Amino acid sequence: MDFESPDVMKDFPGLYASDIHKTKSNDPEYSDDAEKVTKKDILIGKRKDKKDKKDKERGYAALEGESSAEESYEVSPSKSKKSKSFKFPTKSKEKREKSREKDKEFTEKKKEKDKRTEKKIEKDKEKCKVEKKEKKVKSEDWCDIAEVLPIFGVNLKLAIEHGRCHDGIDLPVPVRACIEYVEDHGLTFENVYKVSGPKSKVLHLKKLYNQREHVNLSDYDVPTVTSLLKMFLRDLPEPVFTADLLIRFEEAGAILNVAVREKHLKILVGNLPETNRLLLSWITVHLYNVTLNERLNKMSPQNIALCLSSTLQTSQRLLSSLLFHCPALFPNTVLEHYVYPLTSSSQLPDDPELMEQELLKQESLLAQIHSEMNVGFISKQREELLWEVQRIITQLKRKLKTANKDRELLFEKIDEQHVEETTENEGERSATPTISSEAEAPPSQSAECVEEPTTVEMEVTTEIAAPVSDTNLSDSSSCEKHSVKDAEPVEVTPSAPENKLLNNALAILQIKNTFLNNLKESFLKQIEQERAEITTLEAQLSQKDYIPFYGDTNSVSLDEIMDLLQKENQILQIKKINLVRQIMEQQEECIDLKTKIDACTKNVFLT
Amino acid sequence: MSKKPVTQPALHKVIMVGSGGVGKSALTLQFMYDEFVEDYEPTKADSYRKKILLDGEEVQIDILDTAGQEDYAAIRDNYFRSGEGFLCIFSITEDESFQATQDFREQILRVKNDENIPFLLVGNKCDLEERRKVTYQEASDRAKQWGVTYVETSAKTREHVDKVFFDLMREIRARKMEENKTNNGRGKDKNKRKKIKCVIL
Repeated sequence: MDFESPDVMKDFPGLYASDIHKTKSNDPEYSDDAEKVTKKDILIGKRKDKKDKKDKERGYAALEGESSAEESYEVSPSKSKKSKSFKFPTKSKEKREKSREKDKEFTEKKKEKDKRTEKKIEKDKEKCKVEKKEKKVKSEDWCDIAEVLPIFGVNLKLAIEHGRCHDGIDLPVPVRACIEYVEDHGLTFENVYKVSGPKSKVLHLKKLYNQREHVNLSDYDVPTVTSLLKMFLRDLPEPVFTADLLIRFEEAGAILNVAVREKHLKILVGNLPETNRLLLSWITVHLYNVTLNERLNKMSPQNIALCLSSTLQTSQRLLSSLLFHCPALFPNTVLEHYVYPLTSSSQLPDDPELMEQELLKQESLLAQIHSEMNVGFISKQREELLWEVQRIITQLKRKLKTANKDRELLFEKIDEQHVEETTENEGERSATPTISSEAEAPPSQSAECVEEPTTVEMEVTTEIAAPVSDTNLSDSSSCEKHSVKDAEPVEVTPSAPENKLLNNALAILQIKNTFLNNLKESFLKQIEQERAEITTLEAQLSQKDYIPFYGDTNSVSLDEIMDLLQKENQILQIKKINLVRQIMEQQEECIDLKTKIDACTKNVFLT
Repeated sequence: MSKKPVTQPALHKVIMVGSGGVGKSALTLQFMYDEFVEDYEPTKADSYRKKILLDGEEVQIDILDTAGQEDYAAIRDNYFRSGEGFLCIFSITEDESFQATQDFREQILRVKNDENIPFLLVGNKCDLEERRKVTYQEASDRAKQWGVTYVETSAKTREHVDKVFFDLMREIRARKMEENKTNNGRGKDKNKRKKIKCVIL
């Protein structure tokens, strides 16, 4: 072959396996730097790592001192099969069988493999090839990613990077999932966070997360999930409060004066790195929510502090004060549910905004898959996933594009129509031509009104005028432009068939348009009426005003004036109510009209 | 490859490669949706899936439309690795794009490490005969040298668009059958022997 050996190796992992294994085996760390860890390195690493891993897990178990890790290791394949709704159903079983054989046949296989790649087309190729395939499946999707890019046990930044939530909230997926789960199912669970789950299950979950398997926490119980969260926090190399700030946090937490303590804690929280602050805020708010349910779950702030202070590598006092000041410290933290990026089996959203959101998620996911692949996390499943995500992105982009195109076309159409109709409507009210001037009209009217002498009635007008302009503005912005004054469905139909795609959208918009116009006109009339009312009322009022002014003498007593004014006010109140009611009625009428028109147009389109 | 449950139709993964602007996306979209997109918009990566009838057998084709621009070369390997067949596109109106096919070929061989990977050399834009810069002879010579087929297409007129995809899929299928055969005939495509070609290194 005329290719450089590293590349050959990359694609034929077994080729120089034995040699490399010897040389590399002293090399415990495979960093993910640019120096490019070839697939092969990883594969070899894996074989080794696998053993390491067993040891490691045993180590954890020893540390925790409960059930053995061996157990979790054994349990896992079948478990993972159950828990993941993904789509690699058969593999885990294979894997398990293989992993058993593996160690025995290890050296033997390698030799065979060497042979095979060197004499590629020999007859025993078949046999080897089968083996190669098996090996690939086994080694590639088994444990490497968990070793190279783990989520647990690395610093927070890396954990976020490795277990990214793709909706822009930078928390590691397991944290997010656990909090969400407990918020949904565990707040009333007695002694939540105090009771711990079976170690084997917790370790199994941890492993699933580290291996980027799909995890369905609802298959587990509250103690297991809380233990998993605790494990994540405990495994962080640095406390959430950061090594630098921890002492100052402790000092602040010990301040006796509540106000001073709060102030200090606030400042310190502000000094935390963004990622730490986010994690701390979520955890504190979540634990605070737990304590709010103290009656049901028996977990007072003190209890929580007792159970979690060591996990968070802090003192009980600090944790208690954080919980105490939680609402003040993290007023804006909302524990948003995390919606995973869609898979190909789910329906893509139709709303352009949702499409954009989903697109961002999928792109984030894609970037992660690429970066994981670049460090060697390569398997059939991952490649499948890569293509799938890519496909969803393509679909979303296409859908967005067509949506945008449709909209543009629609606007063009409406613009055309608009031009036609404005020419028809020439000479009518100046407010007609564009929506912007239309939309501005009501506010300007109300503004005029404000300039007029202030009376109780005045308030009424502004009150009424404001909603008018609001409706116009919001509704008109929803259909973006145009105001066709006499838009009747009949006018639409002849032009509509030109573009079948647009028929529905156009019809709906047109109906809306008509409806809006009716509404607007009625409101305008209303406003005119009201203004007329106002003037008359003002006239009345000013007449009445004259009385006290002219008859300043004692001819009319103050009491009388008061009486008059009160009566006047009563009348005005009643009128106001009447006006409001009238508006409501008119609106209802408009809605009726709209539905009628709707029905009409539908009929038209059907025929 | 033949990983999917038997009920699933066979899935063939095709990757479009070639310089920027030669018409990879245009060919893909023409094949997928029978549409020709006039305006040029560089692709980063796009993926499509379609169910088709290949010689009476229902199969699925996954098409990955890659970026021609070098900017995205980093992610290209990830895709190349999982590709089962490649359409290497150039524009007959642009000599540079033809020269670039050499690099693409090498890159693919490097990643796949397989001289016999299903591969078609495709000269696109053959409707623009008056602007031709790459002769048919030149291109088919190179194809011969590589041991692959050369086809000229037009995404605009749809000429040979289906042909390149179907030819490639037949190659992929033949390739898989051959592999299955060597794997003790475990494959499900066993009954379709007629297309098997002998491959001797």
